[in-house]
Amino acid sequence: MKRKKKKIGIPYALYFYEYYPLWKEFLTRLGAEVVLSNPTNKKILDLGIRSALSEVCLPVKIFYGHVLSLSDEVDYLLIPRMVCIEKGAFFCPKIIGLPDMVKNSLESLCPLVSPVIDVRKPYSTWKNSLLQVGQLVTDNTVEISRAFSISWENFQKSYFDNLLLPCDGNSNFSEKNTLSPKKPLKDSEIPVNIAVLGNDYLIDDSYINLDLINKLKKMNVNVFTPSMVHPGIVKNQLKKLYKPIFWSLSRRVVGAAYYYFEKQVEGVIHLTSFECGEDSMVGELIHHQSQKYPGVAYTEFVFDEHSGEAGINTRIEAFLDMIRRRKRYEISLAPVR
Amino acid sequence: MKLALPRLGNIDVICETIITDMGNELIETPLNSKRTMDLGVKYSPEYCCLPLKIALGNMIEVIELGAEGIIMAGGWGPCRFGYYAQVQRDILIDLGYDFRMIIMELPRGSNWKMLWDNINILRNGKSWSYMLNQCKFAWQQVLLAEELENKVLQVRPREKQKGASSRILLESLKKIKFAKDKESLEQIREDTFKKFEEITNYNKKNITKIALVGEFYVSLEPFVNHHLEEKLGYLGVEVVRKNSIEAWISPIMKLNIFKESFKEEKEIEEAAYQYLAHSVGGEGQTTVGNVVLANREGLDGAIQVVPFTCMPEIVAESILKKVSEDLDFPVLNLTYDEQTGEEGLNTRIEAFVDLLKMRRKEIKIS
Repeated sequence: MKRKKKKIGIPYALYFYEYYPLWKEFLTRLGAEVVLSNPTNKKILDLGIRSALSEVCLPVKIFYGHVLSLSDEVDYLLIPRMVCIEKGAFFCPKIIGLPDMVKNSLESLCPLVSPVIDVRKPYSTWKNSLLQVGQLVTDNTVEISRAFSISWENFQKSYFDNLLLPCDGNSNFSEKNTLSPKKPLKDSEIPVNIAVLGNDYLIDDSYINLDLINKLKKMNVNVFTPSMVHPGIVKNQLKKLYKPIFWSLSRRVVGAAYYYFEKQVEGVIHLTSFECGEDSMVGELIHHQSQKYPGVAYTEFVFDEHSGEAGINTRIEAFLDMIRRRKRYEISLAPVR
Repeated sequence: MKLALPRLGNIDVICETIITDMGNELIETPLNSKRTMDLGVKYSPEYCCLPLKIALGNMIEVIELGAEGIIMAGGWGPCRFGYYAQVQRDILIDLGYDFRMIIMELPRGSNWKMLWDNINILRNGKSWSYMLNQCKFAWQQVLLAEELENKVLQVRPREKQKGASSRILLESLKKIKFAKDKESLEQIREDTFKKFEEITNYNKKNITKIALVGEFYVSLEPFVNHHLEEKLGYLGVEVVRKNSIEAWISPIMKLNIFKESFKEEKEIEEAAYQYLAHSVGGEGQTTVGNVVLANREGLDGAIQVVPFTCMPEIVAESILKKVSEDLDFPVLNLTYDEQTGEEGLNTRIEAFVDLLKMRRKEIKIS
């Protein structure tokens, strides 16, 4: 008799923007069925807002929404407790406490699977934690460890494939779109390089960020994000800090910010979510750094559960107009050779 | 060097010992006031937690008074507190102030040089053994100050004349601050306890007991929590304070001389385990554990104080609702931000205390 496939639900929010491919491949290889929640929509957001404390930050509220939307359809919900994935850095307290928060504030949930991921301790490294979860699906330990090594390798590989910038960091943004003076462009056609900073769960969630990335692209903007920066560059940039940052997610944002400032992109937009503790501190660091680069325009967008679309549009337009006007001005004043 | 220490409860009892006696000049940090809060709020990032804002206000005020160095604690997360000093330093430098942030934390990686320099500023050319002795003595002062503070919480609901115990405490704290040796500390302790005896009315029985849990800074700083402990005391409630500087410093320093505090910590962790299985930084897990313990100890209820946007406490708050339901144990959550209105707070506290007193009667009758 063939056993029924176990259905494991993954909420499409927070750290799963980064780690979903790993879990998906690992669990599928073991023969489980992985159910990913729908991309954030109005219903999910409302569910989250209704069930969470009002003081909880927006990303966690969204996470709640995804959990609730999945709960009835699956046998298990995967909510890892991400504590530490590199030396000297943690995840934010809310992510560390996430399984407990979900368990204790939402009712009638299906069973949670919460492996601890804390690479400082031997029993909770990526490998051991994934193996534990694997035992839930199948008893075949050989198969589990094989599935782990293949999916881990693929995950690492795809991560580095997605990096757009070469490791040495020599790519020069200003060269890429030197303006050809043959045909004068309209103001709105001048390409602009803009770095959009923030955590993956804000940049990639087009419902919450009100489709910001696509809007920018339509307006002839080259968008750069933190996920394009090589970890090595991030590490080097972080050495400039007075004190190392001890949050893994923010490390990348700050490292990328410093890198893009140094490379003189034309504008930097920092996306933050309302009530996010890390963002409040990191925002200050980035703001402080931005003042050293007067050539780079900087702005911060805060998203909450009711950010109005028109407001964001106006701000984007104003921001781009400002950069383009400056560019136009610089071109017309540039010395003729 | 002219040094200053931001306010944190009664931490200023150690100022004389670790600053003046070492030959540095002490700049007294003005008491927290509306101005402190306004200054801090004006220059801090909007969603930062309240302690950062008020400490920043403290810093601006002491720099205005001429401080050249500010002593600040640090940490390594995941609570934001560990990054306060860095962000505050950035903000103050942006404002154009010239000073040195003396961050006392165990470094990781390459900052040992900075710690060495900072310690040398504090040492100020005195001998190491002298410095060590002063630190030990400062620790004694903190312990005594906290012992007296905890005693006041018991005396206040029973005092014969309203406000007497607070007055005695204030006097004694001043004496502790200027004490120079262990004998005089012992003397102060005896005297104060004697005075407390005199004003206590032991006929008052059946007193409601409430555990004060939550974020460390807010629970220790009367200006920020709107004198919550006093208010409760005058409503006839004995407050059991669960946070202390002692319990805070010991695990940070991880030094052997403070070994005894670890036992308690372990007990709290175990109590919290069922609800919050992993430390989330700050006092998140401690808060949950303390509420469970308070129930076991037979207290009547608990009040959790939270500065707005505090990450660990929000985790705890989400969980406490369930704890409270499971254990049938009332928990009141008070979130403080820079605009907390006093009257609203009074009403909530009074209602909560009334509720507890009624519960007490009901339990007695049944």
